[in-house]
Amino acid sequence: MTLPMTGAPTRRVLLHVGTPKTGTSYLQDVLFRNRRTLHAAGILYPADRFDAHFLAALDLMRLPWGGLETEAIGAWDRLAEQVRAHRGTSVISHEILAAASRSQVGRALESLGHGDGTEVHVVLSVRDLVRQIPAEWQENVKHRSSISYAKFLRQVQNPARESRISSWFWSVQEIPDILNRWGHDLPPERIHLVTVPPPGGARELLWKRFSQAFGLDGLDLDLEAERVNPSLGVPETALIRRINRAANRQLPPADYRPLVRELLAHQTLSQRTGSPRLRLPPDVHPWVRDLEDAWVTEIRDRGYDVVGDLDDLLGGPPPEADWADPDRPSEAQVAGAAVDAIKALLLENGRLQQEAARVSGELAQAHRDLERSYLRPTYRLRAKLVRRLQASRVGRGALKAYRAARGRNSRSA
Amino acid sequence: MTVDGERRAWGWVAHLREGGTTPWHEWTGAGVQGGAHLPGAQQLELLRRLHLAGRATPELVERVLGASAPGRGTADLELVGAAEESRFGPRPVDPADLPEDELTRVATTLIAEDLVAAGTPEPRPARYVRPWRTRYRLVGDPWLADPVREALIGRGRPPGGRGSVVLVLGRDLSTMLADAWTSRAFDDGCPPWREWLDPFTAGTRVPPRVDLERAAATWARRVGPGQVRVVLDPAALPRLVGVRRSLPAPPLLAGDAVDLARRVAGVLGLLVLPDRRAELLRGTLLPRLVGVPGAPLAVPDEHSAWVTDRAARMRDRLLRAGYPVHGDPDALLPRPVAPAAASTGPSDAGVLALAVRLLLGSSRGEEAR
Repeated sequence: MTLPMTGAPTRRVLLHVGTPKTGTSYLQDVLFRNRRTLHAAGILYPADRFDAHFLAALDLMRLPWGGLETEAIGAWDRLAEQVRAHRGTSVISHEILAAASRSQVGRALESLGHGDGTEVHVVLSVRDLVRQIPAEWQENVKHRSSISYAKFLRQVQNPARESRISSWFWSVQEIPDILNRWGHDLPPERIHLVTVPPPGGARELLWKRFSQAFGLDGLDLDLEAERVNPSLGVPETALIRRINRAANRQLPPADYRPLVRELLAHQTLSQRTGSPRLRLPPDVHPWVRDLEDAWVTEIRDRGYDVVGDLDDLLGGPPPEADWADPDRPSEAQVAGAAVDAIKALLLENGRLQQEAARVSGELAQAHRDLERSYLRPTYRLRAKLVRRLQASRVGRGALKAYRAARGRNSRSA
Repeated sequence: MTVDGERRAWGWVAHLREGGTTPWHEWTGAGVQGGAHLPGAQQLELLRRLHLAGRATPELVERVLGASAPGRGTADLELVGAAEESRFGPRPVDPADLPEDELTRVATTLIAEDLVAAGTPEPRPARYVRPWRTRYRLVGDPWLADPVREALIGRGRPPGGRGSVVLVLGRDLSTMLADAWTSRAFDDGCPPWREWLDPFTAGTRVPPRVDLERAAATWARRVGPGQVRVVLDPAALPRLVGVRRSLPAPPLLAGDAVDLARRVAGVLGLLVLPDRRAELLRGTLLPRLVGVPGAPLAVPDEHSAWVTDRAARMRDRLLRAGYPVHGDPDALLPRPVAPAAASTGPSDAGVLALAVRLLLGSSRGEEAR
């Protein structure tokens, strides 16, 4: 894949549509924080907030998302307008776009200028199913689900795909189908697959592939990650699932996101890297391997541009050591995770109390300042006059006339 | 996709575009490609159902073919026999086998778009506020209180003001439960009827919107118990708010109509902000649903003992608290309802039929004619 980005006379759109859990949060963070540098190189990353493309995707696909959808109204059209107004290359990236239906894809491509002189490229970053299946279950748990791992696996393996979880899973993970929908109206050379390297490889290899796919090589970008979507181990995921079961009914989505997903999962429990990692059960491996083989064969036949190696999509062998079942975790490990979670909540609570005390102090000071201003002689004189006027009928009439003439009904004067 | 299967599918699309009603499995004709991709089975079957129920305008036909179902759920499905059996993607289907719920998902997105396009009726010009009006507040069952409050505002008698008497409106608890769900459906949407109702019946609390005891106690703390009245007799209400003319009764809706509003509310939330959603649901959709045939909702028999128990408890506590009650306190107890006169829950078929009826009668469709 080679996409010369600078000096290109044509309007070009690089549309990164997934898949989840392939380093997309890191990529979007780098693009967002470096958008000025990118713009100087003629590349538009049209976002005024880090989740701008997520909101646009919600709008395009008419997806409710715990109340966030109210911030998404009209977001896709605004995004598309910015892209159409830019002469050069634009980048759009969000992994939930993978689930778009054919009609939504058609609307998206048309709004970006496809068929009207704009060169649209679809980029799909992909990872083997052996890692994607447990990662998707964990994502569900981090989004309030309390479904067990075993039930999740049963639903995903059911060919009818009738459940909400399985239909969503395959809509964002079944690579040939995603490419059928997004690539239906595009030549194969405009469809680019970025494969996630197998575990144990060099950490920067994935970024190098993204950089190549998006034509960012040679740009001086700040690659320090601020927003990533880190993984949890087995006892930590089991703990979040238990918290979901206990607190979901009382905890509104607006509180769940900062407290459970961000504070507990991302900032606290993801730091516990010594616990058993979440993995595919050994008995599911043969079924997954068959699927991966079929996908790789199909993708090879279609002739897409591949950045990386399609063999990366063939997941590793079943775990040789004991497999840790997240539905039956070690209670000692869960208790350890729970203590870390309680500590984090206590510290956060302490911080919030200090913050509340500081704000309360500021408010008290403001009240004191206000009272001092009331004690000025002119204020005292006016207050005395009002009290006298209110004591008589004529005075009340005069006050009423004054207030009507002044044009507001405040009684503060 | 097989060539014959593809031509057959495009032929069926053309047939439906022209108003045809032949089911896919009986269709044998062929046609040429008429778009970038074949519309989904849900869209095509919805179009066929529209033609079976009436005549869809060309504009509506194209909107249906280009629509996508909102939210998470089954993606646009392919027609069985139109494509080669693929190992990827959802299984192709015979559209006639699709559950009604799937067709309603597509229909609700179009109805929501119609509502946004139609907007709300022009607000009435502000009436002169009568300075010597009776001061009141209406609380309790929102489905009873909202239309009365609106009518009184229209007559220059807005609620509130110093010394207001708080009127807690109610009726039999069984109907109030349906009222509470209806009110939520027309505000911000809510879970389906049984998903919403069943958790309450597993506990001891009634929904907050129709918890008359709690409403009365809350207002008694604010304004004093002497200013709170419980009103169970609608005939007593005009006198209590100081008017002679009768006041509007709550809109009577079929259970299927409420469920359709609930589903449309979910989609509207993706198109407009919450306040606007409630305005469109109550100001534009509600008038279209009033009078639609169908049985009103009733609490299923399996919960009748719970409702009777809760209603008796509510009556006893209100009496014990000493609030004046206008009407018979036993009016809170559930009334026997003939099985045919009420529905214990909306039906997917009924909701789809109503959605089809709304789409065929939508203002945008009318304009196109």
